[in-house]
Amino acid sequence: MLSLSHVLTLSSLLFAISVVGIFLNRKNLIILLMSIELMLLAVNMNFIAYSTFHADRAGQLFVFFILTVAAAEAAIGLAILVAMFRNTRTIHVDDLDGLKG
Amino acid sequence: MDFTLFLFYAFAAVLLGASVGVIASRNSVHSALFLVLAFFNAAAIWMLLRAEFLAIALILVYVGAVMVLFLFVVMMLDINVERIRQGFWSYLPLGLIVAAILFIEMALVVGGKWAGLDAMPMPAEPAAGYSNTKALAWLMFTDFAYPFELASFVLLVAMIAAVALTLRARAGNKAIDPAAQIAVKASDRLRIVSLPAEKSN
Amino acid sequence: MDFVMPDFRLAAPELFVAAMSLVILMVTSFAKSRARSAAFWLCEFTLLAAVFLTLFSGTVDRAQTFSGMYISDLLGGFLKAVVCLSVAVVLQYGRAYMADRKIDSPEYYILVLFAALGMMVLISASHFVSIYLGLELMSLALYALVAIDRDNPRSTEAGMKYFVLGALASGLLLYGMSMLYGATGSLQIHEISQRIYERSANDMVVVFGLVFVLVGIAFKLGVVPFHMWVPDVYHGAPTAVTLLVSSAPKIAAFAMAFRILVLGLFDLAEQWQMMLMLLAVGSIVLGNLAAVAQTNIKRMLAYSGISHMGFMLLGLMSGVVKGEGGTYAVNAYSSAMFYAVAYVMMTLAAFGMVILLSRAGFEAENVDDFKGLNQRSPWFAGMMLIVMFSMAGIPFFVGFFAKLSVLQAVVAAGNVSGQALYYWLAGLAVLMSAVGAYYYLRVVKVMYFDDAVDTSPLTATLGTRTLLSANALSIAAVGLLPNWLMQICAFTLLH
Repeated sequence: MLSLSHVLTLSSLLFAISVVGIFLNRKNLIILLMSIELMLLAVNMNFIAYSTFHADRAGQLFVFFILTVAAAEAAIGLAILVAMFRNTRTIHVDDLDGLKG
Repeated sequence: MDFTLFLFYAFAAVLLGASVGVIASRNSVHSALFLVLAFFNAAAIWMLLRAEFLAIALILVYVGAVMVLFLFVVMMLDINVERIRQGFWSYLPLGLIVAAILFIEMALVVGGKWAGLDAMPMPAEPAAGYSNTKALAWLMFTDFAYPFELASFVLLVAMIAAVALTLRARAGNKAIDPAAQIAVKASDRLRIVSLPAEKSN
Repeated sequence: MDFVMPDFRLAAPELFVAAMSLVILMVTSFAKSRARSAAFWLCEFTLLAAVFLTLFSGTVDRAQTFSGMYISDLLGGFLKAVVCLSVAVVLQYGRAYMADRKIDSPEYYILVLFAALGMMVLISASHFVSIYLGLELMSLALYALVAIDRDNPRSTEAGMKYFVLGALASGLLLYGMSMLYGATGSLQIHEISQRIYERSANDMVVVFGLVFVLVGIAFKLGVVPFHMWVPDVYHGAPTAVTLLVSSAPKIAAFAMAFRILVLGLFDLAEQWQMMLMLLAVGSIVLGNLAAVAQTNIKRMLAYSGISHMGFMLLGLMSGVVKGEGGTYAVNAYSSAMFYAVAYVMMTLAAFGMVILLSRAGFEAENVDDFKGLNQRSPWFAGMMLIVMFSMAGIPFFVGFFAKLSVLQAVVAAGNVSGQALYYWLAGLAVLMSAVGAYYYLRVVKVMYFDDAVDTSPLTATLGTRTLLSANALSIAAVGLLPNWLMQICAFTLLH
């Protein structure tokens, strides 16, 4: 029988993978953004699992809003990325060193 | 092991494999495609959890819109793949250790019998004719009307911000503003100058 | 289905600002040459009208609407008024600055207004969904604003850093919320509080969720160890945007912290109190020590902001002793709130001075740019003196009373609990304030005792000069009569 723990364990694995992704891809902003999307997927999985097992639809609606906001967030993030790329011709995290002090 | 559980394991395995692919692949385009695969499998698992509407929404919103945006940006920017890989292996041990600690702690809380979450039973099947979409829609336009409107403002902000940050008039653009063209008056084009007639004497 | 039609009057300020933002968006798209000044004046009108709406339309008793998503109370009304007023001040200070750099597009004004709307929503939110949406509305607008000087590599870089770390923090906050939802089966703050109180929630999972939620809050407040973005964003953003990021969002973050931790998770106070204490100590120590080493005044003020937020958390955590609240709790929370309001007054004036010294083609951002200000403009050197003395906590300015009330709260908690730890905390905070006084007084020293390198006259408009003077003088005035503001804070918290 599919239990709550199954789904939650899966989502915590996803969460852990996304954290590794953030650690490993300190060089590449695009994959960094994708890792954040994976993290949100883990969060959504949690909400849906709890929502189903509590028989409460509020959790599913929260997921709907997270999806909406994440789409908006991706649009703004990529817009900033494009604006930055036009200035510096790079998306390497290492090159983000103009601000030091 | 019943069939639902078997399906869950199958989808979960592909999902995890794809997410490892996202963070480890050499090419950003491959990462994006792996992410698409991950979203598809997540959607399948959400179906198993009876969240049909969100499963479809995930595919439409993410695969259809967000991932296309990602791919678009990846292909628009000229990225040096070799440099991106630098430091990947040197961060790997640290990353794995952090992830392992994180996962073990999380699994202890959510997985085992310790927190008693596995004892929570799956609720009974909804009655025939139950529509997940209808149930969500009912809530969305009653109790959740306020956040629904707020979400529209979030999208509006994203739209304004994306335009403000990236739209620029192309240099050397020779297009003419139609409004200015229509508003032009005869007096702007032709100036009648009265010159005193020269006397020839 | 038990759906109750919401009472729209309770949410009048938000609805007004939301409607006006759409009006401004339309007006500026059609008013071609006058779009900038139209956007400016309409935004100022909207924000000031919203101040009046929050002060005069709110109910005295706590009331909820939109199915428990929105809470209307005096606390929210007061904080929203402060937010709207400070955003209005930000727009006035930054107007000439943005125009000189040709980045005062109508989108700038509209995004600022949306950020203000997000903060208002966040302050009045009593449901995880509305908290999250308010937070994101605010943050998304701020990310874009930081990067709005899009041809300047520093601005876009700051925007990128802010965005990546902010998105990560939102992810962690959401993970925490999902755990709290799982443990309690509700997203509404009061229901969550009720279920935790009744012990019908799963304790392990609740604490687990709390940790993630706290990380998210700490990031938004910019406290150690989640402060990495603060100096870079303050430094890289156009100063007018730095002014915005450093002021009103702190009030909104305070409201979020108060609603989630005190109203929602009070029964876990023993756990979050410990974590807040660590965050506060780290911020006060690191913020003050790092600020000493800065030569760039924007970075210096960034680190000073980190230490101020640490002080505020110190007040917030003193409201609970051994998991119990008492009469002293109101004093502790109101000291934190007083601190947040005082900090906003000071940071507005401080960054306002930085903007005042900037002009077209010249960016005042080093402490050295304040050299000999007394020779150039004795009046504004005096204003800066007030601001720096107040930030340093020298009597009798508002910053002194803010620090004093927080320390009183810490000592009161120590007296009730009988734990020496609280006295050590108060001692450490005093010691670090003394360290902090060094770098504030350094600014005063260069203003009065060094010769001016740059002798060009100040170019600010009369409006900015008047407002900035009023801002700085209010710091002195509230410092002379701090009681009424303290009483407002305590009064709004009691209701």
